[in-house]
Amino acid sequence: MASVSFRNIQKAFGKVKVIHGISFDIADGEFVVLVGPSGCGKSTLLRMLAGLEEISGGEILVDDRVVNDLESKDRDIAMVFQSYALYPHMTVRENMAFSLKLRKADARATAERVATAARILNLDALLDRFPRELSGGQRQRVAMGRAIVRDPKVFLFDEPLSNLDAKLRVAMRAEIKALHQRLKTTTVYVTHDQIEAMTMADRIVVMHDGIVEQIGTPLQLFDHPSNLFVAQFIGSPAMNVFKGTLRRGDGTCRVEAQGIAWPLTEREGGREGQPVHYGIRPGDISLVAPGEGIAAKVVVVEPTGAETELVLDVGGERLIVVLHGRTEVQPEQTVGLRIDAAKAHLFDEGSGQRID
Amino acid sequence: MSRGFSWRKVSTEAQLLLVGIPVLLWTLIPVYHLLLFAISQRDSATSGRLWPADPTLQNFGIVLGQKHFYLTHFWVQIGNSLLIAVATGLITLFVATCAAFAISRLKLRGGRTVLNLALITYFIPAAFLAVPMYKTMANYGLLNNRWSMILAMVTIAAPYCIWVLKQASDKLPWELDEAARIDGASPLQLFRLVYVPLMVPSLVAVGTYALLLAWNEYLYGFLLLSKENEIPLAVALGNFLSADDSPWELLMATGFIYALPPAAIYYAFKRYMVSGLTAGAVKS
Repeated sequence: MASVSFRNIQKAFGKVKVIHGISFDIADGEFVVLVGPSGCGKSTLLRMLAGLEEISGGEILVDDRVVNDLESKDRDIAMVFQSYALYPHMTVRENMAFSLKLRKADARATAERVATAARILNLDALLDRFPRELSGGQRQRVAMGRAIVRDPKVFLFDEPLSNLDAKLRVAMRAEIKALHQRLKTTTVYVTHDQIEAMTMADRIVVMHDGIVEQIGTPLQLFDHPSNLFVAQFIGSPAMNVFKGTLRRGDGTCRVEAQGIAWPLTEREGGREGQPVHYGIRPGDISLVAPGEGIAAKVVVVEPTGAETELVLDVGGERLIVVLHGRTEVQPEQTVGLRIDAAKAHLFDEGSGQRID
Repeated sequence: MSRGFSWRKVSTEAQLLLVGIPVLLWTLIPVYHLLLFAISQRDSATSGRLWPADPTLQNFGIVLGQKHFYLTHFWVQIGNSLLIAVATGLITLFVATCAAFAISRLKLRGGRTVLNLALITYFIPAAFLAVPMYKTMANYGLLNNRWSMILAMVTIAAPYCIWVLKQASDKLPWELDEAARIDGASPLQLFRLVYVPLMVPSLVAVGTYALLLAWNEYLYGFLLLSKENEIPLAVALGNFLSADDSPWELLMATGFIYALPPAAIYYAFKRYMVSGLTAGAVKS
């Protein structure tokens, strides 16, 4: 187990800079998820930590030791790849024992550790099979088993669930999380799927275009996104955002957009007439009787059983509302909306930064 | 579909057969002649019959027993052929595998150049190099030594083998190398424990190619080796024609025996040959 620190990490491929000075610390035993859209540099950052990619600038420390110039094998890390990267010509047992064999570990101890890992991951019955004889989920578990056997300081996961179908992905998500709770090994996990990030992470690092947009616990990011990018990236369905103008006179705060006054609680930042983005999450809007609140026309009703998702038209803009339970409303119907003003978010139009 | 039969399918089949049958005949007629001569009596070999009146295996007996002036070193010569072919196969395989691994997996600087040079050697027919090769072997004092033939054949076979193996190597997923590196493998361990086992089909194909190339070679054997007990069988077969009155039936019987090992090897490895030699031919 170990702590990990990134200190002003930079990466350039030739003349193209892809990571522009990233710094943050990961505590011993923490489960940190790097999340962001494709090309944001999250995998590159992970690969630099793994020693698979040269570091162009800055330092990476594992347990307060700079590892920049250490070979992968000397960093004491284990990695699970998106494509599993199992050795096709070795059985599950051989795959899991490979790293110990390279280290010339004692055969009995190796067998014991493989057996323990196999028990943890329910692979006992599959130990003598070849990877080609396994399903996707089983292969993923073998890849994890290969990492566990090593008992490394840090686990790295590079989009490990992307090749699995939706149902299996949910199951494996829980399995990885349970595994972490059991082993308490420092883990860095890369994904582009914000739901994976929200459900698994102790802390999330949101990345975009080679910089860190925000670092925080899942609920911090959800409740207090520090900028528009994080606000729109975290949460599903995504936050509703409108361009508007901030109005603050007579002791109240509101945003004018589409000819409608969107409610806000009083805040210190922001000046009268400032161009802003107004954000409200689909779950923070409720339906009231027509005529009350903000008038909206129903476009689509999407029942999912436990929840109902409504796509509404408000002054020509699309607005998504998620209701718990069922609803009687029909497309083309007009409804009233009540906004939970305390949950509304405000961002500067130019910089996208949060205004509190 | 209610029936697996359509005129379009029949027409496609017919066209294929129309091309295939002549090609098959074209290929088989020489083999047929080879066999026909080999089982004919000396005086009836050129009688023009489709099948000899009294087929005999006596010619094979003469060949295997070395009971003819031209055949006194038959077993030594077939041994030479075998030694040269196997050594060429193994050495080529070693050189080409190491080169392909270094270029494809270790991304060695200058690898691209080596590969392009290998390709360029194909613009020069092997026969053009025969005289320079003769001179080089003479400089090293290797003439009349079977090593000269082996080295020459490795030189000719290696570029193509490197090219094919590099293409096949490129298809192995990169993550395997990365996983092995993280697992603690050195480049040599990566080569031995991961790369070579996964390349076996291509290695078999390429090794067989080099082996057969050397087995079938005539010109280089003829130039570099001249002693009766050092020449490969291919050259010895050529010597049958040095007299006016050649024993055709023995030439063909020996030729038939000479053709058997390649056929056996090809048959044994045919499953690798197709997949191995075309591996990397197209981007999939």
